[in-house]
Amino acid sequence: MIKKNYFRKIAFGLGPNTDVPSDPVAWAQAQVNSVPKLAWDGPLFSEKFLLDKRAEYRFGEDEIRERYKNDRQALKQAEKKLRYTTGEQYFESLELNIRHHAARNSGTPVFERLWWFWSNHFAILDKSSLPSFNTGAFQREIIRENLCGNFTNLLKSATISFAMIKNLDNSDSVGPNSKNGQWRKKKGKPVSVNENHARELLELHSVGPAAGYSQKDVIELSYIMAGWECPWTKKRHDANQVKFNQNKHEPGEHKVFGKAYKQKGVTPKNKLIDVINDLAEHPSCSNFITHKLCRHFICDHPTEEMMKPILKAWNESGGDLPTIHKALLEVTYEYTGMFDKFQNPEVWLMQMATMADLNWPLSSVDMIHDFSTKPRKHMNRVKWDLKEIGLSPYRPTQPNGWSDLSADWISPELLLRRIVFAKKFSSSGSGHGPQNWSPVHMLQSNFDNLDRVLDYLSLDKDRWQQDPKAKELHPYNVIQTLFPSNWMVSA
Amino acid sequence: MILSRRFFILGGTSLSLLGHPIWNARAATQKKKNLVIIMLRGGMDGLTAVPVKDRLLNSLRPNILVNKTIDLDGNFSLHPRLKTFASLWKTGQATVVHGSNIPYTKRSHFEGQNQMETGATTPYTEATGWLGRGIDTAELNGLAISLQMPLLLRGKITADNYFPTTLGLPSSKIFEKVTSSFVEGTPLHEAMMSINARPREMLRANWKDREPLKLAKTAAEQLKANDGPRIAVFDLDGFDTHSAQGGTDGEHGEKLSKYDGIVKVLKDNLGKTFDDTLIVTLTEFGRKVEENGGYGTEHGYGTAILMAGGLVKKSQVYTDWPGLSKKALFEGQYLNATIDARAVYCSAMAACFDVDFNYMRKHAFWNEQLPDLTEKLFKT
Repeated sequence: MIKKNYFRKIAFGLGPNTDVPSDPVAWAQAQVNSVPKLAWDGPLFSEKFLLDKRAEYRFGEDEIRERYKNDRQALKQAEKKLRYTTGEQYFESLELNIRHHAARNSGTPVFERLWWFWSNHFAILDKSSLPSFNTGAFQREIIRENLCGNFTNLLKSATISFAMIKNLDNSDSVGPNSKNGQWRKKKGKPVSVNENHARELLELHSVGPAAGYSQKDVIELSYIMAGWECPWTKKRHDANQVKFNQNKHEPGEHKVFGKAYKQKGVTPKNKLIDVINDLAEHPSCSNFITHKLCRHFICDHPTEEMMKPILKAWNESGGDLPTIHKALLEVTYEYTGMFDKFQNPEVWLMQMATMADLNWPLSSVDMIHDFSTKPRKHMNRVKWDLKEIGLSPYRPTQPNGWSDLSADWISPELLLRRIVFAKKFSSSGSGHGPQNWSPVHMLQSNFDNLDRVLDYLSLDKDRWQQDPKAKELHPYNVIQTLFPSNWMVSA
Repeated sequence: MILSRRFFILGGTSLSLLGHPIWNARAATQKKKNLVIIMLRGGMDGLTAVPVKDRLLNSLRPNILVNKTIDLDGNFSLHPRLKTFASLWKTGQATVVHGSNIPYTKRSHFEGQNQMETGATTPYTEATGWLGRGIDTAELNGLAISLQMPLLLRGKITADNYFPTTLGLPSSKIFEKVTSSFVEGTPLHEAMMSINARPREMLRANWKDREPLKLAKTAAEQLKANDGPRIAVFDLDGFDTHSAQGGTDGEHGEKLSKYDGIVKVLKDNLGKTFDDTLIVTLTEFGRKVEENGGYGTEHGYGTAILMAGGLVKKSQVYTDWPGLSKKALFEGQYLNATIDARAVYCSAMAACFDVDFNYMRKHAFWNEQLPDLTEKLFKT
């Protein structure tokens, strides 16, 4: 017996054109060997280009604030215009469409789920215009591109990316004994390191709180990280590529977890790389992230037993992500049916889109924008719908990203959202609804407890396929009734 | 202008009560009292809402001074857009706590907003909010007027939320069917029962009806009901006025009038229940005293808390005024905070939930040394 709930647990369920794979684990594992191409033939902008756009926006803000300081109405008008000429109002919608297209059409939904997971692991907060310009590109070019190599490389690339340095304020860090620090002291200006990034590198991105580091470790790591910045320039503000600025770097030797890090070679910037290498290999790191993977895919409270094979894969492969992912996919299959996992609103929405073959998201043609006028309203549909359903992927408000715990998602209004979204998507008149879709294949290929699901839908388990025109089997009824129900909110 | 400093900060009330038997009046008298928190995000400027009469302020803010202010107590006046607040002042139902802030001394909105909701002294260290912990302590129920459950309300007890959808509702049959799929006693089933208990017309609204003012009306109806929630939380943003902050008719005044509008709707719709209600503001920090080149202000530190409702003791500006001289300013630039805002919030919860202050302090604020302001600020 193939466990079919698995396809929702590690992907978005099976769509009408996918037959139930005879070996689900092999099917899933085959998707994680190499980074698949994004299924997207529409506009696509590089991280570098988006940084230029950010610069244009930041500098533009300065200009109009000065120009219209006496005229509130004119300032508001100018701000509105700047938002569309720089794409501030457009890029987030575009990136979300790319994200959902990949999930839907790349043919590698398992990889895409992992991409969503890791993007949330290295969460970029809803702050400083990051969601509008940088978060989507960070997830595409830095997270996605590093998902089939070693975890150490992923951690390094994410740590010294523009989005993360900006996100965790590392540019504000000035070593007290650095050249810049000494100068600031002379001028009577405050000098300190910003511990934010160092703390989160330990607590959220690598070893986790159980590793037992002290506040001293955090400060020492902040010293090592001081100097990694996105430099501020008048014409571009903070929108500059990350550089290592030796003038802000705290000189000397610093200890993290009892190990001293010294300068090797010509520049002290390698000190951080050395620390990251060690953090990635720290036993707490594999433990912390394995727990997180299990929590995301299997259940809220993973057991040590289920973590074991994944930890083994991690340690034996030295952090090779495809090997780790394959172990995870195997373990998840084993535990399917034993533990249920609550599906967050975005995953749930994509499951509904996949399984009911909905017209979602927008087509690439719909997302073409010329920057001279306001983006047309429909372009923002994915962004607005995700906001309305309660999960804006690029806008978490906590540095640990969107929660993986069901308790954080169960509330009256968030549950009601699923009911009204199912209704909205059930009708073909809305432009979302399914065309020529029959629920028969969907029901047969996605549910383990089919008898009970049929019972819930008031369908006779022996005869239901003989009467395909029954009103209980009408797409309209099945989508509205089944998708917001207990059968779909968990897998 | 000279204001006398009142040194209550070092009062030892909490120490003298250590070992005192915990007194929880809820068991004795169970009168329903309501606490409404309005979060003002972006950094609400206490010196725009409640300007001090001080020539230093005039010289530091030549282009954004508030004119036509309403005098409060000779030392402080009120922004003219706070009309409802002004009328409540006349009836003894409005209080300002000035020169106050949460213990956050840096300039980041995100860290500050995190701390204003958790009540902690370092950002991103707590997963629950001070109000959530207060609710747990008093075993009450709260209602968030938002789609997401704000961090402020998070605790052990699951709180309710209200934020009408703009999408069409399916038939009541679908509601029944979906409800039947959940297992009784589970959180999902409970959330579903909460939806089912609401009148259908309450579940859905137009875009416009999700404006805070419209939501305030629904909140008032909920708070009025004897078996309804006792706590409501609102979220207002846009107080981050780096430019064109303006004085009387500026952007900051515009935002203040939004706050004032919520107070008005609550006042008008709560009826007699307004006498048993306390409406309190919360923000991450105030704004820099000196204006910037764009006729706005940068992020600051000390600010004011606005409190309205029948549960305030009397109309007063309660302050240990730090002054505006360069020496008195925090880091020489920002209004100082001489009152830990958490003492006000802890006292407000103690007063509204009929729980002993020290018991509340212990459970909601980790027993930190906060002075008991219950008697000074609220009817007890």
